[in-house]
Amino acid sequence: MSTDHASTHVVTPWTALTPPPRVDPYVDLSEFEADGDLMVLNLGPQHPSTHGVFRIKLVLDGEVIVKAVGYPGYLHRGVEKLCEKLTFANITPILDKNDYLAPMTSEQCFNMALEKIAGVEVPRRGRWIRTLLAELQRIASHLIAIGTFAMDIGGAIGGGTNLFMWTFRERELILNAFEELTGSRFHYNTSCFGGQRHDLPAGWDLGVIKALDQIERRMVEYADFGTANPIFVNRCRGIGVLGRDLALELGLSGPLGRASGIDHDLRRDAPYHCYDELQINVPVLTAGDCEARYDIRVQEVRESIRLSRQLLAGVPEGPICSEKPNIGPTSVRVKGAPAYVAIEGPRGELGTFLIPTDKGTQPYRMKIRPPSLHAVAVVEHLLPGNNLSDAVAILGSLDPIMGEVDR
Amino acid sequence: MSPELEAEIAALLADPPADPPADPPADPLQVIAEGMIVPAAHHHALATLLKAHGYGLYVTVAASHWPQEKASRKEPNPPPERFEVATVLRNPTAPGAPAFWWSVHLAPAEAIDSIVDLFAGADWQEREQWDLVGVVFANHPNLKRLMLPEDWQGHPLRKDYAIDTPHAPWR
Amino acid sequence: MTVASNASNSFIMSLPSPVPEILTHPVGHGLVMGTIILTFFMLISAWSIWFERRFAGRMQSRVGPNVVGPAGLLQPIADAIKLLRKENLVPSGADKVLFWLSPPMTLFFTLATLAVIPLSEDLLVAELDIGLLWVLAFSGLLLFPTWIAGWASNNKYTLFASMRAVAQGISYEIPLLFSAIVPVVVVGSLSISDIVRYQGEHGWLLFWPLGPGALGFLIFFVASLAEANRIPFDVPEAESELVAGVTVEYSGMMYGLFPMTEYVHTLITSALASALFLGGWYGPFGWAPGVHWMVGKTLFLFFVIFWARWSLVRFRSDQLMRLCWVWLVPLSLLCVCGAALWVVYVGGVA
Repeated sequence: MSTDHASTHVVTPWTALTPPPRVDPYVDLSEFEADGDLMVLNLGPQHPSTHGVFRIKLVLDGEVIVKAVGYPGYLHRGVEKLCEKLTFANITPILDKNDYLAPMTSEQCFNMALEKIAGVEVPRRGRWIRTLLAELQRIASHLIAIGTFAMDIGGAIGGGTNLFMWTFRERELILNAFEELTGSRFHYNTSCFGGQRHDLPAGWDLGVIKALDQIERRMVEYADFGTANPIFVNRCRGIGVLGRDLALELGLSGPLGRASGIDHDLRRDAPYHCYDELQINVPVLTAGDCEARYDIRVQEVRESIRLSRQLLAGVPEGPICSEKPNIGPTSVRVKGAPAYVAIEGPRGELGTFLIPTDKGTQPYRMKIRPPSLHAVAVVEHLLPGNNLSDAVAILGSLDPIMGEVDR
Repeated sequence: MSPELEAEIAALLADPPADPPADPPADPLQVIAEGMIVPAAHHHALATLLKAHGYGLYVTVAASHWPQEKASRKEPNPPPERFEVATVLRNPTAPGAPAFWWSVHLAPAEAIDSIVDLFAGADWQEREQWDLVGVVFANHPNLKRLMLPEDWQGHPLRKDYAIDTPHAPWR
Repeated sequence: MTVASNASNSFIMSLPSPVPEILTHPVGHGLVMGTIILTFFMLISAWSIWFERRFAGRMQSRVGPNVVGPAGLLQPIADAIKLLRKENLVPSGADKVLFWLSPPMTLFFTLATLAVIPLSEDLLVAELDIGLLWVLAFSGLLLFPTWIAGWASNNKYTLFASMRAVAQGISYEIPLLFSAIVPVVVVGSLSISDIVRYQGEHGWLLFWPLGPGALGFLIFFVASLAEANRIPFDVPEAESELVAGVTVEYSGMMYGLFPMTEYVHTLITSALASALFLGGWYGPFGWAPGVHWMVGKTLFLFFVIFWARWSLVRFRSDQLMRLCWVWLVPLSLLCVCGAALWVVYVGGVA
């Protein structure tokens, strides 16, 4: 049993690793088909391990995958089109439904785009609260990622579900804190143009500190569930190795990129909110396999717990919002040049590309840059050559959120 | 962005495009900054140049549709219908991890070069933009609809897309 | 306690007189004992599902079924009623005959093994001289209905599941047989009752002969876990990959027969392991023998299987094969050799 997780790993620098061979996702199968020895298997859209409704068409030779074609879009709700019809004040609650495991970061990103175009400065307390909520959201989201990955490996009726249930129990503590703050467990609508809508209630921080203590204690168990279990390690180590160059090309900058050796974190490299006032340790692993993707999330949860404690200890005084609270749908007016704003969501770079209309009440075009869409695009490159069981493990380690992929 | 890279981009854009567009942007040598307008013929070359200079993290591509507006007193000659394609790249290793985005303006029938050969991640992103906005990406290996069913008619994010169009059997 | 002779109904003689007349007739004896043993095994496995769900609930910090009856004790009955009322759907492309044939076959092959499982000196259906062979043959035959179900469903997921099941079953049959041979070599009989009686006289085979006994028990237990498709060896079922294994297309009670027989099979496996290696109905330290020892040991092994199921994650199919062929098969062969050497040099052939 190791409490210091990071020390158990020897991280080889990525420059010393040979990148894994790239596969051709558009491989021509005509030479196989004459034989008739290939089988097409549709993994999804109704399949327990696709984390929602994602379909992968697998071409299998026995149990080995020859070609994988991903089909997202079963959850496409036209969010970007919808946002063009709504006013700025109406959009934030819609974006909560995109990444339904990390709504806090979705709405922060959009409001930061508005603030950047309008040139509005958020007061320090508002930014501080945003930082705190983003870190708590990261913990909650990573807990689910760890749990669902264990479930994908261990089965819905088996040992893997233990971790799944336990991580849900710990996430509940954070959702309770969010509920106390915003009145809602999922769709918070707490970030608004110019700052935050809800101020921290008195005594809220004590409950959160208690929750953080409990999560940190339990994280030891969760890390050991992975590293101290030889069956688990055998299922993950060396499976689905994602090379650094491919991760860069695919635009994987979050935990997936850091598990593949990309030493990049927007919180540290391009600080927003109050991150410039914090010392952030960014864990970077280079193995790029499923185990590294599991470990990096465990380590990031620990780092986020540390940051949250630091943030809770020093919440500054002052206003939380620099603008007047929204009184009507058209009360937010934003005019200016198009802008691209990105923040470090739990799954990677979450961006908003926003072109406001001339009137300044609506987006003319809003493009959300979802990290999960980039993550699931990996399947076409990672699955060929692995077998069916590994496909499920790889997909689980990517932790895609279909609400965000399809929008 | 380093001054050397800015100089290289300026040199690249100063080259006359191989196939100059009928209506080139007024000033191709405008200041090298976020959101600068790049001729379509230079799009692929610019992405190559940026990738070689460390801008290796593919971020996103966002296309938008701009129909011709009615002539008004303020603007007697409104610009013709066009598409704008914004491409965002990021340099994850440079200090500050700067993101850089540029815009390409296209006539309705014009195609933009795909950068899938440089960035594998552009595959799905460009497919999504083609699906939703209708911008054609030339040399894309697999330009099929991504989000909508393959037999969907029209591109919903175009401004002239009638939002009430019936779509059997869905609506 | 002496080793009883191999006479087919000698245990009747040891019953207190007067012996009920029906028990002296072979058919009547079979019917009565069969009813008792079948009822025992079916009830235990039905309520073990309730127990497993409660146990898993506690492990996962949730409640588990607690609504139907006191503490949810009537849950198995509610499940059975639900399954019986559901329609049995047959996919249009399926081979109807084979599709209908598979679940009853599963049940038959499982229950047939019960004939030679002794719960105590007297409590058994028939004392066959080849009892162990009978059990292993029928549990080996269980592969056929699984394979038929997967093939007849005309579904790619079930096809995968059945192929995996056949590969896994055939591979794990080998260490299972070899480790079951260890008691046979030591005792010199294929009758399960003889093996148990030998242990009553000479001590449990788990401890004596020391090396082959314990290792043989371990291999037997692991291989029978794999035979019964329990986690970590449930690769043919693998919910997260193959949705529900060979049972994807089954519904209603046709589906219900599969998990039911799976539980019965697991219970029989535990009973066999406790009879072969853990001294059957004999207590430790020469305590008075009785049916309670056999039931207790069986339920303990059964519980260990649950415990493993809710603590471990599953192997990948190739890792499973590797474990079998690289470790279990050579080790079980070594066990047989060790037991044979022990018999020749230490124990002496009975």
